[in-house]
Amino acid sequence: MLKRRAADPVFIFGFILSVAFVGIAILYPLGKMLSTVVSVEAIPYFERFLLRPTFQLIIARTVILGLVVGACGTLVGFVFAFFQARVAAPGWLKKMAHWMALIPVVSPPFAVAIAVIVLFGRSGMISYKLLNLRPNIYGLSGLTLVMTLSFFPAAYLNLLGLMRALDPSHEEASANLGASKLRTFMRVTLPMLAPGIASSFLLLFVEAIADLGNPITIGGDFDVLASRLFIAITGEYDLIAGAVLSVILLVPGLIVYLVQKYWADRASVVSVTGKPVGQHQPVRDWRVRVPILVFISFCTFLIALIYLTILFGAFTNLIGIDNSLTLKNFDYVLNGVGQDAFSDTTILASLATPIAGFLGMLIAFLVVRGKFVGRGALDFGTMLGLAVPGTIFGIGYLLAFNNPVTIAGITVLPKLTGGRAVFGGALAILLVYVIRSTPAALRSGVGALQQIDPAIEEASTSLGGDAFTTMRRVTLPLIRPAFLSGLIYAFSRSMTTISAVIFLTTPEIKIMTQQIYNETDTSRFGNAFAYVVVLISIVLVAIAILSLVVGTRTGAERERK
Amino acid sequence: MSDYLSLENVTKRFQSPEGKDVTAVDSANLDIAKGEFVTLLGPSGCGKTTTLRMIAGFEFPTEGRIVLEGKDIAMLPPNKREMAMVFQSYALFPHLSVYENIAYGLRLRKMSGATLDKTVQDAMDVVNLKGMGKRRPAQLSGGQQQRVALARALAIKPKVLLFDEPLSNLDAKLRVSLRVEIRQLQKRLGITSIYVTHDQSEAMSLSDRIVVMSAGKIMQVAEPREIYLHPNNPFVADFIGQANFLDGVANSVNGEMAEVNVQGQVVNVPCQVALKPGPCKLVVRPETIKLGTEGTFAGRVKTVSYMGSTVEYALESMGKIINVVDHDATWQRVFNEEDDVRWTFRADRSYAMS
Repeated sequence: MLKRRAADPVFIFGFILSVAFVGIAILYPLGKMLSTVVSVEAIPYFERFLLRPTFQLIIARTVILGLVVGACGTLVGFVFAFFQARVAAPGWLKKMAHWMALIPVVSPPFAVAIAVIVLFGRSGMISYKLLNLRPNIYGLSGLTLVMTLSFFPAAYLNLLGLMRALDPSHEEASANLGASKLRTFMRVTLPMLAPGIASSFLLLFVEAIADLGNPITIGGDFDVLASRLFIAITGEYDLIAGAVLSVILLVPGLIVYLVQKYWADRASVVSVTGKPVGQHQPVRDWRVRVPILVFISFCTFLIALIYLTILFGAFTNLIGIDNSLTLKNFDYVLNGVGQDAFSDTTILASLATPIAGFLGMLIAFLVVRGKFVGRGALDFGTMLGLAVPGTIFGIGYLLAFNNPVTIAGITVLPKLTGGRAVFGGALAILLVYVIRSTPAALRSGVGALQQIDPAIEEASTSLGGDAFTTMRRVTLPLIRPAFLSGLIYAFSRSMTTISAVIFLTTPEIKIMTQQIYNETDTSRFGNAFAYVVVLISIVLVAIAILSLVVGTRTGAERERK
Repeated sequence: MSDYLSLENVTKRFQSPEGKDVTAVDSANLDIAKGEFVTLLGPSGCGKTTTLRMIAGFEFPTEGRIVLEGKDIAMLPPNKREMAMVFQSYALFPHLSVYENIAYGLRLRKMSGATLDKTVQDAMDVVNLKGMGKRRPAQLSGGQQQRVALARALAIKPKVLLFDEPLSNLDAKLRVSLRVEIRQLQKRLGITSIYVTHDQSEAMSLSDRIVVMSAGKIMQVAEPREIYLHPNNPFVADFIGQANFLDGVANSVNGEMAEVNVQGQVVNVPCQVALKPGPCKLVVRPETIKLGTEGTFAGRVKTVSYMGSTVEYALESMGKIINVVDHDATWQRVFNEEDDVRWTFRADRSYAMS
């Protein structure tokens, strides 16, 4: 027998921890849901959902919504990115457009939807009071507007990164060979961005069909799968129906994931070397600049208007009807009924943030530096936490953890969800926060680790450092910015998520997004807006604190002159 | 020679992505004395880096023992080996200053205060980096960065100092001056060193002994001079310097000398002890060939490369291409392409092998 190397205990512990996390918090509930769906009881549901015209209509609407939002959001994101990366404009304008585009990222669902109803609804401040129109905003048009505004930032950031990474020498070569600017754009730039445009479209498609908050607020009778699923669980308490609908909802997302993995990634021609490769010539032609500037101004104005409405609405009795200023909404949120939700949510998100941050970095470390078989599977399993729509996890958790988990009669996990669950169901919500946030931390960690020459870590071990010392003194300081962005993402995601959590709240544990929905549902917009303002403030304060505590720099940056 | 570090039948097999077993290092045996400077030399993929990484502890042998001071360390993790590595990519900690980089290994050994400061300052002194302690690696040139890496490795007084192609990211002039420095330093400190390179001039100028590797196997272990003059086999002859292989027949072998018939010309040449009478190969170095209008063999010049201090020719002769280097271009006639020439070689500097 050969001597086997004793693997580093730190490594083994990390491995067991990650596998346990993925297994218990992600794969087990998903597996439970799938086994429910393939059971005999589920067959009539499939018949009901797939064969009846009413449900076929719902599926068709879901796909239409995904396509429309995917197209609109990608277009807006593209114009914002192009403006930012390529169009000559004053610096302050670019900065403002950038920050305006990022606001929707940290804002909870509903916020945009309610503001749009208040502004453009049947008795809207602009539509009725200003223009004397009575439009029906509930339905596809309202959903498209709201979802486009909510989701385009993802497309914007994705495309902006790609545009900045494009090597200008390709465009210079095209110009050098005699092509006009338009021709160069159509024949060189656009084709090189095509995979990025496609992946943005697909991402928004999945986001749109998985979204729950907007359809139940502004969807009206434009029923989609997500809202139907919500009714199945909260209205009819039918878990099997929910599970079956989840699987139907999962199919388009899965197709998109596979297309992305096997087509978009492969077609990518943008090579990110990290080396500056010269400057793009900014576009100065007024025929391009003017329409783009008008479009950007309109969008940023709209976003500003929406968030000002929210801010204003939080301080009024009933916005649009009684505009007198008041603090009673904040009193309600901070001292009254909302106090519990405020503290519960903040505490749970604050707990989830470091857990997700560390898990993300740990799994990133195992995936990038580990040499074991199955690291790809560990990566994939973790990513499922984000790739699978939140509603599906909500139902999966209800199915998996509504009773204690026992193996051979021994209780391994206590009851996590529903009445009389441990910590009033807080543990389940915490787990959902963690699984929804870890993937982003994992991706940024993987990106950062791949930039670090493995020899740097080897140098540390060669000089006498064990795995733990090397991690603490070399690796972690170097991936600090990635760690920070993972933490920020985890906190804002946890604070603003609704889709998974809405099924898991109990009378004992109140969650702010859930409260916002309740207030919206009963048309107490003032309270809803006050929640939104408080929630965004908490997120911004948390970002500031995290940046201060963790630090934004590694210390390896070149000194600026 | 007292053995300080020994490799005993060290073998490393990898699983290739297609699932095939690949033998990166094939039962390597090597004994290194204390204070010796040994170079592992070979083309890329020959297993030299894998061998070094097994000595460092970054890889673990599939079979065999690695013995340091009588103890088998083959399965010890790198941090328990009291060795230090100088990497091709420098591998400095980019977030730490020069001073902290050098202090890193010392702090892990619980050194602190004045002793730490003195050790770090001394190490910076040794590599001529006095007063650079506060700088970040990114603010240094490549040569300076590699000096920091060297100081960082030397500071912990490792039992064995390991070099993984440390000079290949530097430009040619710097490479030469730094390798002279490395050699002087190593001799002065008497530190046992193992150096991996694919650059034969680096190996020749630095080493007490060179280990030539090919396809996972050690081909020859010897001093630079011995390697060049008496290569064990055609691979070594061809890899170290340039070699022309002339076909001949050994008429008789007498210990280390043989009488060899080359194209009707009978010469007395040094040979492998193992050589048997019969067909053999004669290694003739390009610089031992003399071109002229007279000489034993006929040839035709196919290409001429005028290099300034030397002229390199490729001749067509004996049905093959014979490479010639004329180091005496100032005094000799320079031939042109398609010139018919005569040539001869110094028999005492050639080497016969089977």
